[in-house]
Amino acid sequence: MNGPTNPRTRLTWSLIFIVGALTVFPVLMLVLGSFSEGLTAFGHFTTDKYVAAYTDPAFFEVIANTAIFVLGTSLLSTVLALFLAYLNTRTDIPFKGLFRVISIVPMMIPHLLFAVSWALLLNPSNGLVNLALKQAFGLDEAPFNIYSLWGMILVEGLLELPIAYLIVAPAMASFDVALEESSRVCGAGTWRTLLRVTLPVLRPAILAAFTLGIVRSLASFAVPAMIGMPGRVQVLATHLYTMISTGFATDYGKAAAVGMSVLVASVTLIVVYRALTAESEKFVTVSSRGFRPTLIELGRARLPLFGLVGLLSLALIVLPVAVLLYTSFVPYSMVPSSRAFSLMSLRHWAAVLEDPISLLALKNSLFLAVVGATLGVMLSVFVAYVIVKVKSRAAGLLESLSYLSFSFPGIVIGVGFMWFFVQTPLYATIWALLLGYIATYLPYGIRPMASAFVQIHGHLEESSLVCGASPLTTMRRIIVPLLIPGIVSGWILLASMFVRELTLSVVLSRPGTEVLAVQILRFSEDGLWGRLSALGIVMIFISTTLVVLATVVGNRFKAA
Amino acid sequence: MEIRISGVSKYYYAEGKTIKALDDVNLVIPANRIFTLLGPSGSGKTTLLRCIVGLEMPDTGEIAIGDEIVWSREKNISVPPEKRGLGMVFQTYAIWPHMNVFDNVAYPLQVRGMAKDEITQRVAETLRFVQLEGFERRPATKLSGGQQQRVALARALVAAPKVILFDEPLSNLDAKLREETRKELRAFLGKLGITAVYVTHDRVEALALSDSIAVMRAGQIVETGSPQKIYFDADHRFVADFIGRANLVPARVVAEEGGQTVVDCALGRVACQRRAIPAGAEATLCIRPEFIHVMNGEAPAGQNMVNGRIASLAFVGETYEAEIHAGELQLLARIDPDAGLAAGDAVHFALAPAHCLLVAQ
Repeated sequence: MNGPTNPRTRLTWSLIFIVGALTVFPVLMLVLGSFSEGLTAFGHFTTDKYVAAYTDPAFFEVIANTAIFVLGTSLLSTVLALFLAYLNTRTDIPFKGLFRVISIVPMMIPHLLFAVSWALLLNPSNGLVNLALKQAFGLDEAPFNIYSLWGMILVEGLLELPIAYLIVAPAMASFDVALEESSRVCGAGTWRTLLRVTLPVLRPAILAAFTLGIVRSLASFAVPAMIGMPGRVQVLATHLYTMISTGFATDYGKAAAVGMSVLVASVTLIVVYRALTAESEKFVTVSSRGFRPTLIELGRARLPLFGLVGLLSLALIVLPVAVLLYTSFVPYSMVPSSRAFSLMSLRHWAAVLEDPISLLALKNSLFLAVVGATLGVMLSVFVAYVIVKVKSRAAGLLESLSYLSFSFPGIVIGVGFMWFFVQTPLYATIWALLLGYIATYLPYGIRPMASAFVQIHGHLEESSLVCGASPLTTMRRIIVPLLIPGIVSGWILLASMFVRELTLSVVLSRPGTEVLAVQILRFSEDGLWGRLSALGIVMIFISTTLVVLATVVGNRFKAA
Repeated sequence: MEIRISGVSKYYYAEGKTIKALDDVNLVIPANRIFTLLGPSGSGKTTLLRCIVGLEMPDTGEIAIGDEIVWSREKNISVPPEKRGLGMVFQTYAIWPHMNVFDNVAYPLQVRGMAKDEITQRVAETLRFVQLEGFERRPATKLSGGQQQRVALARALVAAPKVILFDEPLSNLDAKLREETRKELRAFLGKLGITAVYVTHDRVEALALSDSIAVMRAGQIVETGSPQKIYFDADHRFVADFIGRANLVPARVVAEEGGQTVVDCALGRVACQRRAIPAGAEATLCIRPEFIHVMNGEAPAGQNMVNGRIASLAFVGETYEAEIHAGELQLLARIDPDAGLAAGDAVHFALAPAHCLLVAQ
């Protein structure tokens, strides 16, 4: 005998089915693929691919490079984030608004283009800085070479800085200064206090920032592709990419076998990360009431330190855009001079606007952004609703499922999707990309929606049900209108991520389904820097417009 | 050790305005006594404490602890907090969450480079003193509020400081625990005989704990004295009002008779505790509610005799608080729960001259 089914239970299970299909399925396909013979036919169970992948003599070097790259990147971004957070929360450094800019603006500049702009500045053959220095000092060789492991660490470290800052700064701000003061009164000097009290108390937040940095740089493809590959520095992401996209013998099985270990490492680190953030909440001490101690006076160091922060924001924000803009107008790489300015033209812009593939990529990216973000947000609304409002074991399962893809490295999960799509008519269509995008970026849609739901009191919804409305009507008439601000900002966030998506697209994109980021990568492989820059500016423009819109809309609704 | 503070001022600049957190403070804190800085929030008491300990730097003046000048603008002396050899208990206790009880308490000794077994012994002694024996290995954040408070006290005491300072250490405890902890603290400090400087805005705490109280307002010391002097015999209207509940009645001095100062006010002619105020001058008569002993019925009017009517009664537990209409005045009085009085009853009371306090305007 069946009891009456709760419509909420039915909703929960249908969502578990959909989200499970989107997130668990590609992982399953990846596992299956890694044990099979080829992309089109699974064939017999075989461990050949693992043997081939892990006994490859190049593999050891890839692992070593990857380790140095991810650890160096996380170290750089965490140390910089700590330094900036300390300056902002604890000292009298001027223009503190700048720190907010540093933590938000890099979201508008796609990683790919950030890497390109550094390559344009510091590449050994015609990097602008190198050219300028060679001219100025009559050097024979370029003084800098960005195409190295250190160049990769520098660029990726700067890219991960905002995320690390967003983790470390709140911890620093909620830090009770009395903990330090009591150490001073106990007889410890400034340095000993820093080492024995400040840093240990902040340890969970520091480790969380460091762990997330590792996960993100492990998944990063833009910097390794743009800066590592020209210098023949292979890390796991580019190693995978080489296996599936270059040469005549693409080997998805081997890629899946390598991808498995990246995926396992990534999921493990995310588990560690979540444990650390929980730990850091436990560390919250009795909060101080009233007395706000004066900020540390930097004195003579004030201006130099501010100069350093200014330089950093210049490198993070102004430089990439300026370099791209400049490159899009000059005929070839040259140091800015009156001659360079006289040679400027719209040639590259015209070439891009007449290039059918670039236009197709633009069209595809806009389609994916608009349709993908719309579908993604619709799914997110339902998932967030169940996670926040339905307190059942199934809802807990849905929550774990939906945050699973947060730890997915795009290129690895792309390989998993590939094994699936190749069996279906979706292969090489725009819909394959659409599904992949939504599956991989779902957590970014759910998170703002979940926090919006937390703020909607249960009684509002219950009184609608008591008035005779069905759950679906209640959702449409009561909940969604209250959620509008969350929906709008979630939509824009997803859309701006989809416009610049690279890592998943390089795997799934096929002739006819090019997207902006992939087209930019092609331009760089062909050395067409001018066209690349022009298309890049278009991409930054779309992405920036969306982020600005999100901020405006967010403020609008906050004020209401 | 005696603390001498002379001419200390401290300014803050906020939104283009200068705020005088401390305004030319001169104060001698006697050695080996419990000295309390009492005042409303924003009166500068915490700033003064932080100047003594070295966490704030005054803009003018000089601070000496014992024979050592720790701060002087003119002599260009500024000893950092870690070199002043003091102990301090913070409002939030500032227990380091990443260390256990032992490490928290041992820290000042480790910083001074003491030998390991001596540290163990000293920490054990101090923990025994604050009745936290056997708590060494507990994570500090797992303790109750009162226990954390004692860890903070142990940490402040362990290195045998010259002076121990307290910044509202009881304000994060609930009412019952606060009372217990206050008694404990008084007992600990009494046994130690150390110079203690205690900051609070709670008058009961100040009265119960201190050997001596300095009342502060707007960055200045208004009055200094023993708790009894401050409560019963304040010189300033602000102090009389702040230290306890008081009925303040404007009055004019008439004469001095038989060791008492006689005033005219809305309650009629009242003989008060003697004060050197010339006849004809304005003053404020201060009567504490607990010294208004209300009796049933009317009485013949006369000196120090007041008739009135109970306007309202509020039961607050150990007593009734009554508002009494007397002429145009509203007076607050305490009435015994078994006095059998009700709102609207006509009452009278006599004012004892010893409890009629005259304070300057």
